[in-house]
Amino acid sequence: MITLALDIITTAAILFIVAAGLLIVFGVMKIVNFAHASFITVGAYAALVTSRFGLPPVLAPFVAFLAGGLIGAATERIVVRRLYRRPLDAILATWGLGIVIGQLVTLAFGREVQFVPAPISGTLAAFGVDYSLYRLLLVPTALVIAGLFAGLLNGTRLGLSTRAVIMNENLAQGLGIDSTRVRLITFGIGCGLAAVAGALITPLASVDPNMGLAWLIGAFMLVMVSGGSLLTLGLSCFVLGGLQVLASTFISPILGGLTIAVLAAVALRLRPQGFARA
Amino acid sequence: MTFTRSLSALLAAAAASTLLAGAAFAADPIKIGVPVGLSGANSVVAPSVVQSAELAVAEINAKGGVLGRPLALEVADDASGAAGAQKAFDSLVFQKKVDVLISMETSAARNAALPIVTRGKVPYIYTSFYEGKSCSPFMYVNAWVPEQQVPPIVDYFSKEKAAKTFFLIGSDYAFGRGMLAFTKAYIEKTGGKVVGEEYLPMDGTDWTPIISKLKSAAPGALITSTAGGAPNVTLTKQLRAAGVSLPYGNLAVDEGTAKGMGTDAEGIFLSASYVTGIDSAANKTFLSAMQKKFGADLKTPNDLSVPEYEAVYAYRAAVEKAGKTEASAVLKALADVAVDGPRGKIAMSQQHHAALTMYLGQVQADGGVKVIQSFPNVSAGQQCPNLKP
Amino acid sequence: MPDLATVHDVAATPLSRSSRPVLRVAIAALVAAAMIGGGPWVLDTYTVNILVRAFFVAIAALTVDVLWGCSGTLTFGQSAFFGIGGYALAIVFTQFGFGPGEAMLAVGAAVGATIVVAGLVGWLSFYPGSTPLYASVISLVLPIVLVQFLYSGGTFTGSSSGLVGFESFDLTLEAWFRLSGLAVIATLVATSIALRSDAGRVLGAMRDNDERCSYLGIDTARVRIGLLVAAAVIAALAGFGYVGFGAVAAPENAGFVFGTQLVVMVALGGRGSLIGAVIGAVVIEVASAYLSTSLPFIWELIVGVAFVAVIVVLPGGLLGGLRDLGRAVRRRGATVSAPVMLRTSEKPNAAPERDAIVVEVSGLSKHFGSLSVLSKISFTARQGELVSLVGPNGAGKTTLIRCLADGRERSEGSVRIAGHSIERLPADRIVGLGLGRKFQAASVFETLSVADCLRVARVRRERPSFLKTSPVLTLPAAARAVVESSGLVERLGDEAQFLSHGLKQALELAMVLALEPKVLLLDEPTAGLTRAERQGFAEILTGLVARERLCVLIIEHDLDFVRLISSRIIVLHQGRIALDGSVADVVDAPLVREIYTGRPASDACGVTP
Repeated sequence: MITLALDIITTAAILFIVAAGLLIVFGVMKIVNFAHASFITVGAYAALVTSRFGLPPVLAPFVAFLAGGLIGAATERIVVRRLYRRPLDAILATWGLGIVIGQLVTLAFGREVQFVPAPISGTLAAFGVDYSLYRLLLVPTALVIAGLFAGLLNGTRLGLSTRAVIMNENLAQGLGIDSTRVRLITFGIGCGLAAVAGALITPLASVDPNMGLAWLIGAFMLVMVSGGSLLTLGLSCFVLGGLQVLASTFISPILGGLTIAVLAAVALRLRPQGFARA
Repeated sequence: MTFTRSLSALLAAAAASTLLAGAAFAADPIKIGVPVGLSGANSVVAPSVVQSAELAVAEINAKGGVLGRPLALEVADDASGAAGAQKAFDSLVFQKKVDVLISMETSAARNAALPIVTRGKVPYIYTSFYEGKSCSPFMYVNAWVPEQQVPPIVDYFSKEKAAKTFFLIGSDYAFGRGMLAFTKAYIEKTGGKVVGEEYLPMDGTDWTPIISKLKSAAPGALITSTAGGAPNVTLTKQLRAAGVSLPYGNLAVDEGTAKGMGTDAEGIFLSASYVTGIDSAANKTFLSAMQKKFGADLKTPNDLSVPEYEAVYAYRAAVEKAGKTEASAVLKALADVAVDGPRGKIAMSQQHHAALTMYLGQVQADGGVKVIQSFPNVSAGQQCPNLKP
Repeated sequence: MPDLATVHDVAATPLSRSSRPVLRVAIAALVAAAMIGGGPWVLDTYTVNILVRAFFVAIAALTVDVLWGCSGTLTFGQSAFFGIGGYALAIVFTQFGFGPGEAMLAVGAAVGATIVVAGLVGWLSFYPGSTPLYASVISLVLPIVLVQFLYSGGTFTGSSSGLVGFESFDLTLEAWFRLSGLAVIATLVATSIALRSDAGRVLGAMRDNDERCSYLGIDTARVRIGLLVAAAVIAALAGFGYVGFGAVAAPENAGFVFGTQLVVMVALGGRGSLIGAVIGAVVIEVASAYLSTSLPFIWELIVGVAFVAVIVVLPGGLLGGLRDLGRAVRRRGATVSAPVMLRTSEKPNAAPERDAIVVEVSGLSKHFGSLSVLSKISFTARQGELVSLVGPNGAGKTTLIRCLADGRERSEGSVRIAGHSIERLPADRIVGLGLGRKFQAASVFETLSVADCLRVARVRRERPSFLKTSPVLTLPAAARAVVESSGLVERLGDEAQFLSHGLKQALELAMVLALEPKVLLLDEPTAGLTRAERQGFAEILTGLVARERLCVLIIEHDLDFVRLISSRIIVLHQGRIALDGSVADVVDAPLVREIYTGRPASDACGVTP
C-alpha cells in the first residue's frame, strides 16, 4: 500500500519533470515541440559524457541543461521561427528535427545501449518500507524545478514579458517587448529542461538514441490536457500517472502504458478547452 | 566514440582480411552473413559476437581458408526484432548472396528470418541460447536450450537456498515466455511453487510495478528471463535500487553484460555453457588470441559470443567434409562434425542441437563469474524429433 | 420559364473536354502497367523483393496523402490500419491454417475490423467543434494503443515477436511483383478519378474552409468519417498484402514510427499530389533498403534534413515544387478546370405561401458566464421582408446571427426557421431548414475555381458524381442572376483566391443563393465595396425580396444603404432590441441618435420631430 503510494508520487514527479519543458514551449509559443524526445536523449547522453569524463554525477543535469538549451536555441533560430503560423507543420518540422538530432547523436556515440551509473544508490526506509532513494529524491527535484519556473515567470522581467506574450503577442510587440527574443529564450529553456529530464532519468533506465521516444507521447498528452498551466500539469501528472501505476499494478504493465494516452484523449474529447488556442 | 572506433576497426579488419585474402588467394571468398542486433535490445552484446566471428575468420584465413578460398564476413543489423530481421536477412540472402548465415539473434528475429532462410536455401547456424524447439532443416543450433540450463539453477535454489516459492519475471516474447514456461514446469515437477509470473514488452524499461509485486509476494527466490542486453540491465538496476536481495537467478545474462552492470550484478546466479574462467588449454588460447587481436577494444567473451566463434569452425569442418559449399551437402555434414573449442568438444548431433557442458556460477564483486558446479555433457533432449537426422 | 442552356467558352465539344484528363490518366496507367509487367525480367531478385514491399507501403502512403494533402487532416494513424490488415491475415492463418475459405475469412476479418476501428476513431476525432489538432492527436494515439494491445495478446498476437511461421499465399516473387504493382496503379487511378470528380471537390472545399462547408449544409464530420473509413480499408488491404507476402507480422508494421514514416514519405514526395506520395514512398523504401546497410546513419540523417527543409521551405513537397515551377513557366494564369455550361434549375413546384412567417425568435439570450451578450430577444420576420439589424459595435448583432444559424450557440430561448424549431441542431442541419448565411469576410474556397465553388454549394440539392466532372452547372435563377450581373460568368474557370474583394463577395452570395434558401442572413455585406458595387448589391437584394419572396436579415452600418433597401429595421443596443419598426419609424428616431452618439436626445419623450 505504502509502496503503491510511493510509486504513484515518484511516477508523477518523473512525468512532471519530463513534461514541463514541453508545456513551457506550448504555453508561450502555441506550438508542440516534437523534438522534445530527442532533447531528452541529448540530456541522457550529456549525463553519459559527464560520467565518462569522471565528473561528479551531480553536475550532469547542469551540463544537460546547457547542451539542450544551446541546441534548442539554435534550432529555434534556424527552423522553428518560420513555422509559428502553421502549427500542424510545426509538429512535423520538429519531428523531423528530432530525427536529425537523433541521428547526429547516433553518429557520435554509436547505436548501442549504454548505461550511466546511478549517482545515488540504495534505499531509504520510508514509512516502514524500503524504497529506492533515487526515485524518492526526484520528488523534491520536481518541486524545485516547478518552483524555479514559477519564480522565473512571476518574479523576473523576462517572466513578465513572457506572460505578456502569452496573453496577447501583438499587443506586447506594440508595447515594445521583443517577442522574438522571448520566444528564442523560451524555446531554449524548454529544450534545456527536456535535457535535464533526460539526465535525471538515465540512472533508472538505459541510454540509447531512441530512448526519448517512449516519453514523448505521454508528455504530449499531459501537456494537451493541462492546457498551459504548470499547476494543472502537476495535477494531471499526479492523476494520470497515478492511474497508470494502478493499471500497471492491478491489470497488466503492458496495458498500463496505455493509460495516459487513452485517458487524456477521452478527457480532451469531453473538455477541449485545453485546445482553445490551437 | 567507442562504437565508431570499433566500426572503423571492423571496416579496417574486413578490408585487411579481404586484401590479404586477395593477395594470398585468387579464389573468390566464401561469404558468411552475420545478421545481429547492432541496435535495439541486443546491441549490448552484438559487438562481442562480431569480434568472435572476426577472430575465427582471421585465424582460418591465416591457415589457408576453406577449400582454398578465404572467408569473408557480411554484418547486418537486425534491430533485435522481427521487422529488422526480415530486412537484414533479405539483404544478406538475396543481395549479398551469402553462403551461410552464422549468428546470434533474439527469438523474434530468428522466427521472422526462418521463412527467408528456407526460401533462400541457405544454411543457418544459430549461436544463441534460446527457449528451444525451433526446428528447420536449414538451421543448426550450438547453444543451450532450457533442458540444459534451467535445472542447475532451480535445483541449487531449492536445495542450497531452501527456496520453496519462486517469482518469475520475463520479457514478453517467445524467449521470455518459453524459458519461464519450462522453468515453471520444472519447479512444479520438483516440488516447488510459483507465486508470481510477470512480463514486460521486450523494449520496456519501467519495472517498478512488477518489482513492487515481487516484494509483496516475498518469495524464496527470483528467476528472470529477459531479452539479452538492455532489459537485463534495467531490471537488475531497478531491483537493486529497490533493495531486493533475494537469491536471484538470471537465465539470460552473460558475463559481458554482468560486467557492464557493475556492482549491481554481484550475487546473481547464472547457468551457462561458457564462462571466461573455464580452465582448459583451448579456452586459454582463445582468450589470449582475442586479447592480442582487439587489445583495449576487447568486449568480454561470453555465452552469447563464444558459440559464434565455434560455429565458424564448425562450418569450416562441414564444408571440408562435404567438399563443397552447396547447401544440402553442408547441412548434411554439419550433423556429423565436431569442433574442439573454448567450450570443449561440441557436435550439433542431437536433432540439430548440441550436448553441452553447463556451469552454474555466481557473479563476483569484480564482475567475474565463480563456478560453483559443473555438469558435463548435458543432453539437449528432444528438441526436433520430426527432423530427419 | 425554363432557360435554355447557355454555353460559356466554346471550343471542342463537351465530351472530349471532360474526358481529356481521364484519357491522360488511362494512358499513363497503361504505360505503368506495362512497366510493371516487364519489370521482373529487367530487375534482379533482391530489387523485386524490395519493390513488392515498397508498393504495398506506397498504397498506405497514398491514403495518408488523401487524408492529409487532399482534405486537411494530418494523420499518423494509417499504420495502425495497415497493421490491422496484416495481423488479421496472420492471426487467421495461424489459428485456422491456409486455404481459400480461410483466405476469405482473413479478408473479411481485415476489412470488418478496420471498418469498426476506423468508424470509432472517426467518431472520436470528427465532431462538431473538433479541431484539426485534436484529430491528429487521436491519429497519433491510435497506433500506440494498437501496438500495446498486440503486445498484451500473448501467443494469439505473438506479442513482441510478432507472428511467423504461418502458411501464406504461395505466389512466385514475379507474381507478387505484378500484383502489388498493379494494385498501386489501380489505387492511384481510382483515387485520382474520385478526387477529380465533383464529389471529390468537396474534400478540397473542406480543406480550404470547413466552416463554409457546414454553412452550405454539408455535414463535414460525416464526410470526414466516411473518408477515413475508406482510406483505412485501403490501407488495411495494403497491409494484408504486405504480410501475405512476407509471412511475418511484426508490431513495427502497425506502430507510431511507421505511421510517421508514411507522413515523411508524403511530405517529401508531394503533399496533395497522389503520384508524389507514391513516388516518395517507393524511393524512400528502396533507398533505405540499399543504403541502410552501407550508410545507415547518414541515410536517415539525409531523410530527416530533407524532411525538415521540405516542411519549412517547400510545403508542397518535391512534386508540388515542380508543379508550381511548371505553372510559373507556362504562365497559364489561374485557370484550373474545364469550362462549364450554366443552366437554370427548375423552380420548385410548391409556390411559397404568401408571406408566411419564416423566422420566429422568442426569448433568445446568450451569456458567457456572467457577461450577458444578448438578452430576451424576440421578433418575427416574414417572407418578402428585408430586415436590417443595426446598432453600435458590441450590441450583439453578429452574436444574434450566430444564434440563428447554429442551434448550439444560444443559452436560452427558442428559434424557429420556416416553422421548425432549430433546437440544438448544428449549422448544416439548419441550412436544410432553409437558412443561408453569408459571412462578413468573404468566405469561399480559395483554391477551387469559381465554378467548383458553386458546384459545392449545390451539393445539398444535387448529389455529385464520384466519377465524373459534370460540364453542366445548374443554378437557381437568383444565383445565376448574381453570377451574370457581377461578371463572375467570365471568370468561371479562375481560382477563387485570384478574385477581387468585390467579386469574392458576389461569389459567396451566389453560393448561398445556390442553396435556394428561404431566409438569408447577411453580415455587413457592403463593407469594402465601391459605390457602384453597393448600388448593384442593393438592386440584387431588393430583387431577391421582391421576386423570390426571400426573407433577408442584414447587419449593416451604412445607414444610407439601410434606408434604401429595408422594409423594416431592428435596432439592437447592449444585447436588447431597442426599436423594431418600419424605416420611417426608426431612421429619424431620437433614440437611435442617442444610441449611436451616446448623447441624450433633446426631446426626452422620443417623439419624432
